[in-house]
Amino acid sequence: MILNHFQAMVIFALTVSVAFAFLSKNKMSERLRYAAWAFLAFLAVAIGIGWLMYPFSR
Amino acid sequence: MAETKRNPINPALALVAAVAGWLVPGLGHVLLRKWDKAIVYLFAVGTLASVGLWMRGNVFSSNAADAFDMLGFLADIGNGIFYFLAGTINAAGGDVSRASGDYGTRLFATAGVLNLLCVLEVLQIGFGSKEEGHAAG
Repeated sequence: MILNHFQAMVIFALTVSVAFAFLSKNKMSERLRYAAWAFLAFLAVAIGIGWLMYPFSR
Repeated sequence: MAETKRNPINPALALVAAVAGWLVPGLGHVLLRKWDKAIVYLFAVGTLASVGLWMRGNVFSSNAADAFDMLGFLADIGNGIFYFLAGTINAAGGDVSRASGDYGTRLFATAGVLNLLCVLEVLQIGFGSKEEGHAAG
């Protein structure tokens, strides 16, 4: 199975954010909100850091 | 105010559930009748571990050459049955000469650490130190 960096990151972000939501929250509505927030935060931070490093890549 | 409940303390069941949860992700929560959490943790750990192995991630063995290898082994062994079946799930073994294999190594280690967190939660629930809300929210 060949996945690129972004695809691997999406799988990581999705599974970890859902698991963290169930570890840390009790109510289903809180879990959904936390999972969505953590998933988007994982992606935003990774893409942001990627763009910050872009000027040094060449 | 959210309804919460504490489980009756049963140290023997908590320890058995913790070992079961380490060996098969989610099984500890099944023994404690936390069905929703069991399904989610099996999905999360199983997905990360399987994808990590299919991407030909490296699996660290117990005869570690240095401290980083030992840390990798401690993370990987947290996968329980996925660690012991790694050779069956991906018979080709690890290949970190490509970036994909390197990502797989990280995913497999993440799955192991995540499962260890789930085992800690099993102990918390089993020993009654964690309040659990009702499933319907």
